[in-house]
Amino acid sequence: MKPAPFEYAGPRELDEALDLLAEHGDDARVLAGGQSLVRLMNARQVSPAVVVDINRVPGLDTLGLFGDNGSSTLRLGATVRQRTSELSDEVAAHAPLLAEAGAQVAHAPVRARGTVVGSVAFADPSAELPAALLALDGLVKVRSRAAERTVAADDFFTGPFRTSLAPDEMVVAVDVPVATGRTGSAFVELTRRHGDLPVCGAAAVVGVGDDGRVSHVRVALCGADERPVRVPAVEAAVLGADDPAAFTEAAAVAADGTSPIPSCHGSADFRRHLARVLTARALRTAFARATSPKETTDA
Amino acid sequence: MSTVEEPRTEARRWVGQSVPRKEDPKLLTGRAGFIGDVVLPGMLHGAVLRSPHAHARIVSIDTSEAEALPGVVVVLTGATAAEHVDPMPAFCAEPVEQRAIAVERVRYPGEAVAAVAATDRYVAEDACERIRVEYEVLPALVDPVAAMDPSATRVHETLDSNIVFHRSLDWGEVDADLARAHTVVRSSARWHRMGAHPIETAGAVASWDPFGQSMTVYSNSNFINFLPWAFAGILRVSTNRLRMIPCAVGGSFGSKHLITKVISITGALSKACGRPVQYLEDRADNVAANDNVGCDRIYDAELALAEDGEMLGLVLRIIDDYGAYFQFAHGQHGNAVAQPVGPYRIGSVRYDVSCVLTNKVQQGFFRGAGADPGNFILERLVDKAALEMGIDRVELRRRNFVQPDQFPYKIPTGNIYDSGDYEAVLDRALEIAGLDGWRTEQERLRAEGRYLGIGLATCQERSGYNASEWWFLYGDEAPLPATSTPESCKIDVDAMGGVRATIGCPLWGNSPETVVGQVVAEEFGIDPSAVSVVYADSTSGAISAGPGGSRVTIMLSGATRGAARTVRDKMVRVAASAMEMDPEDVECVDGVFRAKGVPGTSMTMAEVGMRAHLFNDGTSEAESSGLVAVHTYDHPYFTPPTDDRSDLGAFYPMVSHACHIPIVEVDPETGEVTLRAYYVVNDCGTVMNPALVEGQVVGGIVLGIGAALMEEYRYGADDGALETPTLREYLLPSMHEVPEIVLEHLETPSPFTTYGVKGAGEGGRLVAPTAIASAVDDALRPFGVWVDELPMTPERVVGMIADARGDQR
Ligand SMILES: Cc1cc2nc3c(=O)[nH]c(=O)nc-3n(C[C@H](O)[C@H](O)[C@H](O)COP(=O)(O)OP(=O)(O)OC[C@H]3O[C@@H](n4cnc5c(N)ncnc54)[C@H](O)[C@@H]3O)c2cc1C
Repeated sequence: MKPAPFEYAGPRELDEALDLLAEHGDDARVLAGGQSLVRLMNARQVSPAVVVDINRVPGLDTLGLFGDNGSSTLRLGATVRQRTSELSDEVAAHAPLLAEAGAQVAHAPVRARGTVVGSVAFADPSAELPAALLALDGLVKVRSRAAERTVAADDFFTGPFRTSLAPDEMVVAVDVPVATGRTGSAFVELTRRHGDLPVCGAAAVVGVGDDGRVSHVRVALCGADERPVRVPAVEAAVLGADDPAAFTEAAAVAADGTSPIPSCHGSADFRRHLARVLTARALRTAFARATSPKETTDA
Repeated sequence: MSTVEEPRTEARRWVGQSVPRKEDPKLLTGRAGFIGDVVLPGMLHGAVLRSPHAHARIVSIDTSEAEALPGVVVVLTGATAAEHVDPMPAFCAEPVEQRAIAVERVRYPGEAVAAVAATDRYVAEDACERIRVEYEVLPALVDPVAAMDPSATRVHETLDSNIVFHRSLDWGEVDADLARAHTVVRSSARWHRMGAHPIETAGAVASWDPFGQSMTVYSNSNFINFLPWAFAGILRVSTNRLRMIPCAVGGSFGSKHLITKVISITGALSKACGRPVQYLEDRADNVAANDNVGCDRIYDAELALAEDGEMLGLVLRIIDDYGAYFQFAHGQHGNAVAQPVGPYRIGSVRYDVSCVLTNKVQQGFFRGAGADPGNFILERLVDKAALEMGIDRVELRRRNFVQPDQFPYKIPTGNIYDSGDYEAVLDRALEIAGLDGWRTEQERLRAEGRYLGIGLATCQERSGYNASEWWFLYGDEAPLPATSTPESCKIDVDAMGGVRATIGCPLWGNSPETVVGQVVAEEFGIDPSAVSVVYADSTSGAISAGPGGSRVTIMLSGATRGAARTVRDKMVRVAASAMEMDPEDVECVDGVFRAKGVPGTSMTMAEVGMRAHLFNDGTSEAESSGLVAVHTYDHPYFTPPTDDRSDLGAFYPMVSHACHIPIVEVDPETGEVTLRAYYVVNDCGTVMNPALVEGQVVGGIVLGIGAALMEEYRYGADDGALETPTLREYLLPSMHEVPEIVLEHLETPSPFTTYGVKGAGEGGRLVAPTAIASAVDDALRPFGVWVDELPMTPERVVGMIADARGDQR
């Protein structure tokens, strides 16, 4: 379990990092928290010729709100640690789903190194944070030497451990639009052990109108398909509902048309089953939190 | 042969105390000296290329590119390694040859196909990547039942069938008991492959001296002072030119008894290049190819009971998937028949076992060693009988327990149970668990749609094995019908009165130094911290079977006390002669040799030591100079099997007992099982050191939680690929999955052993899986779930509920 020989680059500027990616393309890998990359290199499942360590690049550790009061956005730069995000007051206030999902990633020592953006860029179909980002209508900020672009999370994840990132590109930040009004969210998952990657997880964001009915809803799943996915069929069924019983019914279609990747922790069928169970739970909790902010557990 | 401990008269000062662990400081400060710490001048590092296929013919191997890599010193294939080393020693009678590096054919995923020695491990692994192996993939045998079919591909051409061993034995009148029974409960059970995963993997440093034709091997193997000649055999070194040096072992759980493959590969590399080589398995090597996996059994079992619940007879039909080789024969079944009837007075037993070969790594020994699934099936049958007959599960157990006045009790197979008071253990367990409170809580939660379950199991922990269990299920054809399992200790008191103990067993993650310190302290009345303990290498003659089968405290305390008393008695004689007294009138108290009842006259340890070393008085009656004794303690109660095996003899007679009561909550929608509380009452005879025993019991329960809920080796149904190659897939419990464990002891000392101690190393894992299964059953009783397969993964639990409801799946 020793990596193949590689070169290590520790750029001090973003442009330097982007130059390296432009030069080496597919032969280079960005190193963020290293909590997935190093393991893969040790197992020689990936053997990059050059490792581009972005941890010393200034400015990538931004965590904060920007934009005017009308539409503010929470931004997390590429070296913001999962632990920092989880404990941040701003994340708790403006994107509690990210904090709740983040707290379920691994164990504190892993989160102290692993980055939010690294988890998004890694695009593990079972990981919590990509699903949370989807449910939050998050955006992925991408840079290359030549250009800068913003990709909606739903367009970013293209398959298992695959994204729409080009070899010369890196993610510099993720943006989460801050919700307004009466909103609740929840992240629920089944893990084999505390801190493991979920077998399946469900993220839900529910906005409730003045009439007490669901006016906005997002449901995203991990472990339920080849990539983290939104579940539009459930969302459509839930819109306008005001009774938690409707959520369970709506969740029955959560796994329709999905292709979960089976593993020793759960067959495709079991993952579909969990998708239904967890979707219902996430929706019920999110709704309860939207309608009564003190509610914290599954109704 | 039997030795019966004299009744306990004098109060003990050190035996029975939580004496601080002597091993802790060096372990906690990283100075214990593991195999990874051994560095010899000019040492190279090994790495192994392993087969990605479960079953394949090796068409060709091209090592030229690897050999050309700078830093690579030697590359061995199976064929070239065979020029230096011989096949593995086999304890089986059947012609199943195994080499550390496969020749021509690989038979399990992860089997070694080549090995490299290079200047560092990185280069060695780079070289492995450059070895080109062409395979012709053969059909993989994954399902043991399919492998039993006469038309199945054979794992070994030397055998007529993949059923490498089959035997059916009846003890007592099984058919008659079945016929007269009021109820016969039947259950199948599936106990999947699990394995030992110590933090430190198996490793060795071998140094071949081509001039002296001698070899020095450092390793974390256990059997260096038991079967060193077997290692000499594989390494093709004469036995008197092999020196094996123990290292501190970073855990074993049974997996490091021999580690012959690792030692063979390391030795072959060293012989091939004439330099010292270190090879330490990495995690991938260890998970795939260490012989660390335990039983893999399919049971079809019956328990016959009379109308009042009296247990009459037991039938166990077993298919056991042994994997691709059969190095240790069917020892795990020899182990199981030490206690197939548990703590119950069951009059007859039929044991029908088929050992089947498939394309998986071979079975080795893992904590529990064969008795683990045995306890599982028996307790499942008892719970099922209680349910079917409408008798309370506690009451049914009570009615059938062996009674305190029946010990020593001979079970149908011939093994002896030394002592116990099972009902007292059960009563106390029910008491500390506060069962009524939990029943109330269960009802309250059920009203909320939550499912709490209360488990119960009352099981045996046989301890202190005799080697006969390895072979007695064979008839006359046993290749090595050994009958000894010795343990040795040498004690020497130097001229200044310093006491040193040299022991044959290695430090295996348990606490031999602490135990030896306590025993020496007890015998001399000195402080345990004053005793120095060192580990013998294989040239010292301290023969020792070491830890295994929960034996080491039993055996080591016997060996140590024997040696300590011999030296102490000699010191009494020396002191008596110096003080011009009769030895009868001299006693050793608090490390002082004094006249009985005349406190004024005495000699210190140092005074006696100096006298014994330097002041021989030259008379013919004088004691020889020096104060050294070696004591080898043999099995305290062994009787040989009869020729027809109608009586297997006493071979595992120190029998501990425990009652476990786990409390679980099950989420029937996700299948998640959470342990809420755990209560244990344990009887391992005299508790040598409560802190150490607690560590063993709790650690064993943690592994039992793994067995109940998560641990399982999985292989692809079609290609036989290992689906659990790392600890991301093969799950071990972490502290988050372990509830607080409330533990109490009851002591029924063994009449056979020194101080009355019995084993405690495996009990936790021997009881917890079946106890937790019964808790899950209890939780899911409203659905009518019957647990007959471990581990109870979330998917299995959801499946069991669906099956019980008759859902379409
Ligand atoms: C014990 C343990 C338990 C774990 N449990 C979980 C869990 O429960 N849930 C979970 O989701 N994860 C889990 N992980 C994985 C962990 O969360 C990783 O931190 C995360 O997946 C990747 O983040 P990282 O910053 O460490 O990225 P790295 O490991 O540094 O990189 C991961 C991949 O993303 C790429 N990458 C990283 N940053 C960028 C960027 N800015 N632009 C482009 N590409 C980039 C890298 O090149 C690499 O391919 C666990 C890890 C461990 C060690």
